[in-house]
Amino acid sequence: MAKNLAGDLLVASANRLVDGVVVYLDDAGQWTTELQRAAVARDKRGGEILLERARAEGFGVVDLLLVAVTEDVEGVLEPVSLREKIRASGLTFDAIAAEAVRYA
Amino acid sequence: MPLFRETGVVDDVWTKLADDQTVPADGPVLVSLTRWRGARAALLARRGPIGVALANSDAVESLAGDVSRLDLVALHFPKFSDGRAYSQARLLRGRMGYGGELRATGSVLRDQLPFMLRCGFDAFESDQPGFADALAGARTLFSVVYQPAEDGRTPVSFLRLSSPVIRGRWPAGPEGESSSEVTNYNY
Amino acid sequence: MPDTYFYRYDRYDRALLSERIAQFRDQVRRRLAGELTEEQFKPLRLTNGLYLQLHAYMLRIAIPYGTLSSRQLRKLAEIARKYDRGYGHFTTRQNLQLNWIKLEDAPDAVAALAEVDMHSIQTSGNVIRNVTADHFAGAAIDEIEDPRIWCEIVRQWSTLHPEFSFLPRKFKIAITGSPNDRAAVRVHDIGLRLWCNERRKVGFEVIVGGGLGRTPMIGKTLREFLPKDELLAYLEATLRVYNRYGRRDNLYKSRIKILVHEIGVEKMREDVEAEYAEMKDGALKLPAETIEAIARQFAPPPLPHRPAAVAEVEALKLSEPNFALWLKSNVASHRMAGYRIVTASLKPAGAPPGDASAAQMEGVADIADSYSQGEIRVSHEQNLVLPHVAVEDLPAVWRALGQLGFAEANLGKITDIIACPGLDYCALANARSIPVAQRLSRHFAEIARQHDIGDLKIKISGCINACGHHHVGHIGILGVDKNGVELYQLSLGGDVDFGKTALGTILGPAVAADKVVEAVDSLVATYLENRGEGERFVDTFRRIGLQPFKERVYAAV
Repeated sequence: MAKNLAGDLLVASANRLVDGVVVYLDDAGQWTTELQRAAVARDKRGGEILLERARAEGFGVVDLLLVAVTEDVEGVLEPVSLREKIRASGLTFDAIAAEAVRYA
Repeated sequence: MPLFRETGVVDDVWTKLADDQTVPADGPVLVSLTRWRGARAALLARRGPIGVALANSDAVESLAGDVSRLDLVALHFPKFSDGRAYSQARLLRGRMGYGGELRATGSVLRDQLPFMLRCGFDAFESDQPGFADALAGARTLFSVVYQPAEDGRTPVSFLRLSSPVIRGRWPAGPEGESSSEVTNYNY
Repeated sequence: MPDTYFYRYDRYDRALLSERIAQFRDQVRRRLAGELTEEQFKPLRLTNGLYLQLHAYMLRIAIPYGTLSSRQLRKLAEIARKYDRGYGHFTTRQNLQLNWIKLEDAPDAVAALAEVDMHSIQTSGNVIRNVTADHFAGAAIDEIEDPRIWCEIVRQWSTLHPEFSFLPRKFKIAITGSPNDRAAVRVHDIGLRLWCNERRKVGFEVIVGGGLGRTPMIGKTLREFLPKDELLAYLEATLRVYNRYGRRDNLYKSRIKILVHEIGVEKMREDVEAEYAEMKDGALKLPAETIEAIARQFAPPPLPHRPAAVAEVEALKLSEPNFALWLKSNVASHRMAGYRIVTASLKPAGAPPGDASAAQMEGVADIADSYSQGEIRVSHEQNLVLPHVAVEDLPAVWRALGQLGFAEANLGKITDIIACPGLDYCALANARSIPVAQRLSRHFAEIARQHDIGDLKIKISGCINACGHHHVGHIGILGVDKNGVELYQLSLGGDVDFGKTALGTILGPAVAADKVVEAVDSLVATYLENRGEGERFVDTFRRIGLQPFKERVYAAV
């Protein structure tokens, strides 16, 4: 079944300018690589405010965006879209197979 | 907007006229191609130099018979990534023999300068910090060019020939690169 | 280090590279210092081959005309280790992509490349891109003339071209020197085909407006025969028409194919010929001496006489079925008797197609030094080619490639899959490509079965930009996103063989990710049941049409 991509919960994300690494804006206005430390906006208006804050802290990052997330009962955040899941947790396969590094 | 030539910042003596503005009796004026076409005779009859500002979609060919009557042609970059004016510049300089000021207007950034100089631009409107320094160094940023263009530089392929071709608008290459012998190569 | 038998940089080429690196270093410094906005910086980094992907920057390194020396390949391995995560991805356009580059390291990485006369200039951005060629160039038995001579001439002319550095969109040129096109010249912005006319003159057929992507089109002949020394004048004329009149209002309509489509090839020809008439016999006409000087550098290596029939090879064919199959699929005729062209498959079962670790790159470089004149090629099918292998050395090369995992006898077979990086890496993708390729290649891993199925090209793209060339796959697979779910649209009957360039026909509704293998299995089963004598998958499809395939697939999934 199609998921609700709009989502109610939003976090602000970007790529770090210096190395391209995926980062999220935390409550202190710092960019963190940990999705679980991201500041969460709980409605559309909150999202707009979050994006404003992200822009204000945007000097060292590029490609700012809001990411729709879900939150489970223990407060663990999970992006809604596959793209954002991959941005948050990396490749979905082993980049180099074990055999490929065997030769030396 | 500050105006730069390779010598540095210069005063802009040109009055840019909108199409509905009255043409002053004298002094340098810059008009659109539409106005130039519509009022060519009157503009030529007045005292003072004439310049034409082209949109990058205007056909430069329409100035073909008039290049010797113009002292300024301004070519526009609506966005720095829109490169049509480079072709207009090369046609004006190389094919039509235009020798007056060729000015880049609009979104003009320092990193475009090596390309603009090679295409024949010699004046630039820009408000980017550091533009004057970049312009001063832009012609020597690359000691090597691979193509003939409108800046008179000899492409590497000709420097490599045992008897380099020297044409009127191509000076000899760097020291020791060319013989003084003039050879024609299939021109 | 052995001598190279292709273009060697001179002090001019090296001076330009080092000046370009200094310029890029300064641009990166200004960006990091906040003097340049991202909007201003983006085209600067792109024209130095630096993209921003999902997780990091990606550096796309040009391998001009797909030709590498062993020394260059070792340097690529070193750069992959030092500045990346120890592996790289060979692309369909004879580039190598490193996926984990830091912006702050990028100038050092390109400086390291320059140590072996390589660069990443114009591998992205709205410029003339790395010029590609037949990967068998200089070794192929059917070759009229080595296309790499012309690629190098075009490479130089197009590098930092002052007029064409802000084109409406990217511009890709491919050149073939053989009647059997291995460079896909009809699906490029400009394709050039060397041929010999009735008067025994060799010149170019100039093909314009081909391309895949969102609006796939097969290129049209702009000029039947162009004298070779007029190549640059004609290209400059064509690019000028495109630069002036190509659309800039819509990203998806800005390739030259749309211009040709909208004004018609006749009008395009008229405009280009008018422009060319002004330039003909001018400064861009290539002096014979210039052409000869470059051609001399591509002179074939002095291959010593080696026996054409070797008992050990014949014996191994009998004792090792996989070797026999490998000879059939991965070894091609060479212009010299006693030699063969060997393709190392970068598609071992279950591996990301086209990927090689630094260790594997070094391994291939060693093999090239021992057995292939120190030369390696990169094919647009994302494999590596050893162009000059003696028949006598084939067993040793097969064993050595086997140690690297690159001796899979699957060239042109169902697991020789072309795949783009897809959603795992790419910021543009809608769906993943590599995991789909992995599942397919594991499912069809058995080599004997692959040979029974025969030639079958699967090409996978993760979005409609079609980097995986799905339009021209015998089976094309296009990943789409439907409300956050990955679906895959199948198409049949695409082809890029010369004279038969064809775009695939969509089979029907897209299938779920976990049904792709079953769907392809059904397509193969339909083919096996219906194939006539000597028919390839695509031949059977052409004969019996879409319907039998469609019925079987949608009954199964």
